[in-house]
Amino acid sequence: MTDGPATTPAAAADLLARFEARIAAGEKIEPGDWMPDEYRRQLIRMISQHAHSEVVGMLPEGAWITRAPSLRRKLVLIAKVQDEAGHGQYLYHAAETLGASRDDLVDALLTGKAKYSSVFNYPTLTWADVGMIGWLVDGAAIKNQLMLAQCSYGPYSRAMVRICSEETFHHKQGKEMVITYAQGTPAQRRMAQDALDRWWWPSVQMLGPHDSDSPNTPLLVRWGIKTKTNDEVRQEFIDEHVPELQEAGLRIPDPDMRFDAKTGHWVHGPIDWDEFWRVVKGDGPCNTERLAARNRAHADGAWVREALEAYAARHEIATARAAVEA
Amino acid sequence: MRWEVFKQDAPSKPHQAVGSVHGADAEHALLNARHVFGRRPAAISMWVVRADRIYGRTAEELAAEAPRAPVASGNEGTYHVFRKASHRRSMTFVDHLTDVRAAGPSEALAVALAGAGAEPGLAWWVVDANDVHATDPDAAASWFEPAKDKTYKQQSQYGTVAAKRNEGAAG
Repeated sequence: MTDGPATTPAAAADLLARFEARIAAGEKIEPGDWMPDEYRRQLIRMISQHAHSEVVGMLPEGAWITRAPSLRRKLVLIAKVQDEAGHGQYLYHAAETLGASRDDLVDALLTGKAKYSSVFNYPTLTWADVGMIGWLVDGAAIKNQLMLAQCSYGPYSRAMVRICSEETFHHKQGKEMVITYAQGTPAQRRMAQDALDRWWWPSVQMLGPHDSDSPNTPLLVRWGIKTKTNDEVRQEFIDEHVPELQEAGLRIPDPDMRFDAKTGHWVHGPIDWDEFWRVVKGDGPCNTERLAARNRAHADGAWVREALEAYAARHEIATARAAVEA
Repeated sequence: MRWEVFKQDAPSKPHQAVGSVHGADAEHALLNARHVFGRRPAAISMWVVRADRIYGRTAEELAAEAPRAPVASGNEGTYHVFRKASHRRSMTFVDHLTDVRAAGPSEALAVALAGAGAEPGLAWWVVDANDVHATDPDAAASWFEPAKDKTYKQQSQYGTVAAKRNEGAAG
């Protein structure tokens, strides 16, 4: 299960070579298989950050459930937020297969030690933001998750396949909502454009730093944890979304955005990485609010967890007593 | 406490390992399993098994183990044997393959491996049938049917750029 069995450097090199050959052959690594400690460490880091992002990701949209403009929109949003909760659960499960404890992971989130996606530290100011998050943020997430569905680690890959099939609904409903607004009254069109102006850059940033500033990437690609780099995934996201947003009559808030006919790709202007790192490190518009909301929810649920434990304990005693008396 | 969840999609399908949930007891674990893994069609049955009661071996582990007589290490009884057969893209892990009578999980696995013949599989789980907590078949409709009617959860409910353009042209 760990580096343990390799007692000599030659044996360790042999184990690593066999491990890398399995990945090169497209095999999935499963819990119980030998894996380098660094593979395990990188996966726990990535999967737990991903899980936290799903959980915190419920907050910006959850805030609008009570203010949805129609019953249909409310049901759609409830279904979506419920999915995000489920995605967090799938991912915590995947991290647990690597030996991580759920309590430790949740504790790291609640105490602010763990990172989660920078994009969820921005506020949802209008109802159009809910649609724009679906189109852009879920759109960017799907690009990343389709890549991760190819991951060499079985449990992470399976969680991603499950998530992608659900995330596609989020993307489509967001797109539908924004298109409706973009074709609506002048006020609705202004709302859609305002939402795009505020969510475009955070969405472009959420796919992570440039490859040149992403020191883990070569190893992650070599071990099949990632199959594409941040810049490759970002390019896919931009190539798909720019023409569709323009088709909907919206303007991308990047004066340098242009189509390069030679490469067939859209070329974006400089990304404000100072802003990205500020938000990741805790100084975004809503970091404090998000963490406070998670802590409040966890504390408010304490009595439920205690009641469930008490019920289970009493049930166990009753079962044991019945067995003795029988 | 962590529980592994097995979901059956249709009578013709096996129970498949879909992931795990936490639960104070089996009843709680089943409820959580439905919330987490039953939000979309289809399901007709779910099993939960305490994660620490599962006997699991990957092909790599089996190859590394010294060949020896299976140990009668558990209860004489029925064991459910699950197998992962391919590296294909999937959202499920091992499938319920067969049930065997044995005197412990390792013996059950040896019997199943002998029976599997040419298809040795990539990973195996063995579960004592007594450790399975299943949804009540009489309650299956109330547990799983509601998810089928939640149409807003399907992506086909939503028009795209092309669909909207066509609507506009038609109007």
